[in-house]
Amino acid sequence: MARGLAYGKGATIAAILLVTTLATALAARQPLSRVAAGARVTVASAGCGRGWAPRASGPQELRLYNSGGQPAEAAVIVPATGAVVGEIDALGPDATRVLRLDLGPGAYALRCHLEGDDPVVGAPVRVRGSGRGGPEVVPVTSNDLYGPVRAYQKIVAKRLDTLVAKTGALRTAVRDGDRGAARDAWLPAHMAYERLGGAYGAFGDLGDAMNGTGPGATGFHRVEHGLWHDEAMTGLRGPADDLDRDARKLRGQWSDQRIDPLDLGLRAHEIMEDAERGVLTGQSDDGSGTDLATVSADLDGTRDVLSVLRPLLRTRDPGLNDLDAWLDRTDTVLRSHDHGGHWTSLDDLSPMDRQRVNGAVAGLLERLAPIAEICAPRRVS
Amino acid sequence: MTGRRAFLRGALATGATGVLAAGAAGAAAAPGAAAAPATPPYEGLHQPGVVQKPLRHTVLAAFDVVAESRAELTELMRTLTDRARILTAGGPPLEDGISGPPADSGVLGPVPPRRAGPLVTVGVGASLFDGRYGLASRRPSGLTSMKAFPNDDLDPKWCHGDLSLQLSADDEDTILHALRDIARHTRGAMQVRWRMSGFTSPPRPSGTPRNLMGFKDGTANPVGADVNRLIWIDDGGPLTGGTYVAVRLIRMLVEFWDRIGVTEQEQLIGRSRDTGAPLDGTNENDVPKYAQDPIGKLIPLTSHIRRANPRTPQTDGSRLLRRAFNYDNGTDPAGNLDMGLLFTCYQRDIHAQFETVQHRLKDEPLVDYITPFGGGYFLVLPGVRNAADHLGRALLG
Repeated sequence: MARGLAYGKGATIAAILLVTTLATALAARQPLSRVAAGARVTVASAGCGRGWAPRASGPQELRLYNSGGQPAEAAVIVPATGAVVGEIDALGPDATRVLRLDLGPGAYALRCHLEGDDPVVGAPVRVRGSGRGGPEVVPVTSNDLYGPVRAYQKIVAKRLDTLVAKTGALRTAVRDGDRGAARDAWLPAHMAYERLGGAYGAFGDLGDAMNGTGPGATGFHRVEHGLWHDEAMTGLRGPADDLDRDARKLRGQWSDQRIDPLDLGLRAHEIMEDAERGVLTGQSDDGSGTDLATVSADLDGTRDVLSVLRPLLRTRDPGLNDLDAWLDRTDTVLRSHDHGGHWTSLDDLSPMDRQRVNGAVAGLLERLAPIAEICAPRRVS
Repeated sequence: MTGRRAFLRGALATGATGVLAAGAAGAAAAPGAAAAPATPPYEGLHQPGVVQKPLRHTVLAAFDVVAESRAELTELMRTLTDRARILTAGGPPLEDGISGPPADSGVLGPVPPRRAGPLVTVGVGASLFDGRYGLASRRPSGLTSMKAFPNDDLDPKWCHGDLSLQLSADDEDTILHALRDIARHTRGAMQVRWRMSGFTSPPRPSGTPRNLMGFKDGTANPVGADVNRLIWIDDGGPLTGGTYVAVRLIRMLVEFWDRIGVTEQEQLIGRSRDTGAPLDGTNENDVPKYAQDPIGKLIPLTSHIRRANPRTPQTDGSRLLRRAFNYDNGTDPAGNLDMGLLFTCYQRDIHAQFETVQHRLKDEPLVDYITPFGGGYFLVLPGVRNAADHLGRALLG
């Protein structure tokens, strides 16, 4: 599950390379009737693309052979735009792998990137015929992601200020021994945390301490358990103090965190993936019945990520408008169960309402999935 | 990235898909390609998966539709049609490069085999015609909600549904590949309500396959002209080419069953366990001679086959096409094996056929060994006629 989303572990720029575009494919394509099998095509710094003979448009296979002594990556690109049609990002020395493509008419070239060398682009190959071909995407580079990463860090920094204010209020309510006030303070604090989008271990040990679930949980779910299971308020002081302290620690560390550019695209769907797996299943609830509020906050966190990626996606993701519509739709479905800060619990949803929530979140996830692929940083030169 | 979002993407895209897919289906029907058993062409008067010889594996899933408008419902039906065409035809999936995750799950390898796809059969339930989509006035009068019969123990979680989807194939991976594909393309518009996997046993040792009570199941099905007369709707209206299916999830209390003598088992069913022959006959296909056995000396009056099909002129019209699959679904809290029958039957009139048969079966002695716990009634939509057509077009718009 952990997909290496850790913040602050040093930003290893994703070792990848290639690039992408502006997919014009708005009309549906059809699975192809036959695949043309190809001859062996060389991947090397000298002779990149050798063996790639022109052929008719349509689905086809390139058998890519790494004749160099180093690991390589290879991509079929549109030389005019730099858009990528297909890529293989790991090709061992002396190994052959098949790249399946759907090529429309036009000029293409193979880009070869052997480890330690600069990428080289082979001679253009003209493909004749008709048809639309598969989507072409102009690659996103690490440089392209620099601005979005910075912007995202600022957004999260502000969200952290809110978190600290809310955990402070929770701590105060717990210390006052006012269970009702503490319950009322718990949800905004927890939602403030969820809006940070710290899915899949992104906040490391601190994240586990603050938002871990199950037996032995500390942080939010420890306090939740006590508040909704009539535990003595005095016994919750320690956990509430720890939670508030950890929130401040998280904020304090934030300015030193470096976000791997690769993580940004992954996060676009992983926040909601985590919500579907761990929250919508009811696994993380410890008495408050606020799972739908949690998912709603996760959606807010997802919007933060998308807001900074939007300039890159606008020209690259033909599904962006559809995605926006689904964000709103999911938002509306979730918020219809917010009754002035009191959210319907999963158990209290009617079966049909439960299906609507599941369908909205799942439909949204399908539409978020392409973003990680499109926004993975690739090296183009 | 195209098909996945198709159900909200507008008619233009799906129209284009349909035309090309029709080409694929046409090719599939070409003579000379008859070497291996293969999926029949998708388009036709009837949907596939009803009258064909049952394949080895099946899954039957009921869905709740969560589309937010009538237009989205129509888009859902178009998407289902497109996926059914594509899955039926097989062949290479779309290559989407770096624009998204792979278009295909890869479960059937890089290129799903041609013409080895599943039979895809889609139905609609009465609940689809409630107020949600403005379809109340279009509900076919024959489409009702499955009732609870006297010997039933229905669990609402296993009953009914707005849509039914049956996938059948000789290999289970073919079915699960299709189920994942269809779910992926329709997730925001419909959600699984319940689903059950089933299988058809090979002949043991010959003849009609056996169920998990050890008896041959489905021997007396109508054939030939009777199929048209009893099964397919043929009234010239928007349902023509369709049929009604009653689905029943019936647990068999197999431990209890295995603890009773074979004579009692045979009296409960009315057939020989070994041969499948009626108890007054020799071979499986012998016709029971009830007229010569008016008091049930050989075939008890209360036996299942005699109650279900008394073979009189008065009861001829209640015959139906029985398609029963075996299911195996884990273990119950008492430690007993949960297995039984994924029973389906087709007819043109559920009230006159399935319900009438069911009424005759009320309190049959066999009920002590079975527990019907789920199912539903669905209208199996007419077949997709041509490239421009889609499932439910005439009925749902």
